[in-house]
Amino acid sequence: MTNPVIGTATGHDEFITLAHGNGGRIMRRLIETVFVRHLGNPWLSPLSDAAILPNRLESDHDLVFTSDGVTVQPLFFPGGNIGSLAVHGTINDLAVSGAKPLYLSVNTFLEEGLPLAQLQQIIASMAEAARACDVHVVTGDTKVLPRGLCGGIYFGISGIGVRPRGLTLGSDQIQAGDAVLVSGPVGDHGIAVLLAREQFGLSGTLESDSASVLPLTQAVLDLPGLRFMRDPTRGGLATVLHEIALATGLGIQLMAEQIPIRGSVQSVCDMLGYDPLYLACEGRVVAIVAAREADEALRLWQDLPQGREARRIGTVVPDHRRVLIKNEWGGERTLQELEDDPLPRIC
Amino acid sequence: MSAPMLMSERALRRDPRYWLARIHALPRPESGVLRIMNVCGGHERTITHAGLRQALPDYLHMIPGPGCPVCVCPEEDIHAAVALSLMDHVIVATFGDMVRVPCNAPKREPRSLQDAQARGGRVVPVASPADVLILARQNPEKKIVFFAAGFETTTAPIAALLSQPGLPDNLLLLLSARQTWPAIAHLLDSDEAGFDALIAPGHVATIMGADQWRFVAEKHALPTAVAGFTPELLLQAIHAVMAQAARNSPQLENCYPQCVTAEGNARAQCLMDAVFTIQDAPWRGIGVFAESGYACRPALAGHDARVHFPQVFNDAEARRGEMPAGCDCARVVLGRITPPQCRLYGRGCHPRNPVGPCMVSDEGACRIWWSSGAVTPTDRAMA
Repeated sequence: MTNPVIGTATGHDEFITLAHGNGGRIMRRLIETVFVRHLGNPWLSPLSDAAILPNRLESDHDLVFTSDGVTVQPLFFPGGNIGSLAVHGTINDLAVSGAKPLYLSVNTFLEEGLPLAQLQQIIASMAEAARACDVHVVTGDTKVLPRGLCGGIYFGISGIGVRPRGLTLGSDQIQAGDAVLVSGPVGDHGIAVLLAREQFGLSGTLESDSASVLPLTQAVLDLPGLRFMRDPTRGGLATVLHEIALATGLGIQLMAEQIPIRGSVQSVCDMLGYDPLYLACEGRVVAIVAAREADEALRLWQDLPQGREARRIGTVVPDHRRVLIKNEWGGERTLQELEDDPLPRIC
Repeated sequence: MSAPMLMSERALRRDPRYWLARIHALPRPESGVLRIMNVCGGHERTITHAGLRQALPDYLHMIPGPGCPVCVCPEEDIHAAVALSLMDHVIVATFGDMVRVPCNAPKREPRSLQDAQARGGRVVPVASPADVLILARQNPEKKIVFFAAGFETTTAPIAALLSQPGLPDNLLLLLSARQTWPAIAHLLDSDEAGFDALIAPGHVATIMGADQWRFVAEKHALPTAVAGFTPELLLQAIHAVMAQAARNSPQLENCYPQCVTAEGNARAQCLMDAVFTIQDAPWRGIGVFAESGYACRPALAGHDARVHFPQVFNDAEARRGEMPAGCDCARVVLGRITPPQCRLYGRGCHPRNPVGPCMVSDEGACRIWWSSGAVTPTDRAMA
């Protein structure tokens, strides 16, 4: 079957043009043959101005609503692309809030000149990621920007989920003595994207950790000692811990040898002068858990495929307001707040 | 029996705790303290970030010395780079750190390449000389000025770039490269060197050879060891110089034979010699050190920004020695003071608003100490 948008017969439509955003026939064809084709469901497919949704809200649940902007260069990287990343990012924001995600909205900003084959691939990945989490894209919008005004494709994506009423999760629940857990190795996404940019003449097989963390967050949600969860994206593990220290007035004491970091991530960091603790993850969870339940939480995570490398990495302490990291031979340093985009050092 | 024992010894040597125990077992030096200088930002990063100062005996003073090429790049070269970036037909390409290094400019004038960029200057951060080549080929109508500060480790790949056949005519080099050892020679020839032992830089020695540092042990009788970059490799070198001090037998020890030979990388040295000469050169805020700088050979004049834009460099030369008020980077670089002993450290000068280069570069002692938690002058015990 010839795809009317990719238009193999004429070759006219192999790239996004401004006409794809004109509101007319060409735009409708784009929406039908890309977005509806991959993402279609009973709520999206009528292409009405707003999605009319069945009330899936149980009486003892609250709505949870989040919004995210997604840009990444390059658009494709080992372990995912901007489409799957957008879905995972939004689902993860809901998941760490204790919610089960239900519906997403997706606004797509396309740059004139983007190859249609790439758009197909990105939206197919988006659909696959959403399906895997039983989440539906129910509404959206598409705009085309002139060449040079956006890096191929941007997404504005929002998500709605539900969570049990009365769930107390938040930094105000954190107490001195609580345990700090991380669900897997940190920095994979940051280094995978860096390698995909091929700027540094480095290559490798490292994949991004981009994934839904919903199984991880749901696994520990019933623990009464669960205080707080966050996915360490931009700014990495160190930045999440800083936010906790700032919000609670308490300190974090980390044990360096307990923090899971892949050898390949550490090697690239050593070469370029990055600190993996500040690099983005896209499929990890940091949890603060009452010390008495730390082992149980860890066991629940380690039983899941995405949590096998989970570790208890530190403790919330009352004696300072810093994020301190101590190594096994007694050396200690403070992890400062990230100041600017880390740049590779020169020698 | 012996084979597994050997294996376990090798495994032990990879554990920092093994070296710490051996260091603690050595006698305290007769003089009371042993001041050990390093000359590499990478060494200082490991020492500080791994918290070695707290783990080592308190009679060891680990002193960051001249190990940051960005920090010693003379202010007049930054003035020149800023001026060049504002010229219509020029793009300045430089390593990331250099973009933010400030110079002393009047309020209305740009004081860094970053400032120049905000005023329409064209500045492209690069990660390697190969990026510059691509930039030059992509922009044949522009002059690409590669503003390169660095020690021997950076100079060697630049020499490789310049040695390529078919170098684009529009690629020009603004070279601020330095040899590392003349700064140490300068300290040792002064009244007070400020250190009793030297950890020599492993990367520089990979290129230039360990023997380049022999003068420290043989002419000045100071314990010297070439070191690698992990905590255990550094501790091994620290142990080596302490043991030399205890035996009172200063010598040059190569504690990084994995990468470093006595003579270094002959091919790299040959490439550098083919395109660069050695000449006297200014170090930011410090002065001119004899035979410390690299310069393009006359055959490469066509690619030398200093030859191509004489007026820009004449104007910039006039500003030599103008340092930002209160900036003590020069004394930090020479190991005369620790970062928190600078009046501006953590007050007027921090990574958000750096006054001097030591707070900009990842190789700079101030930036390293600050990012490890020594954020105010009273915090000096932290680093």
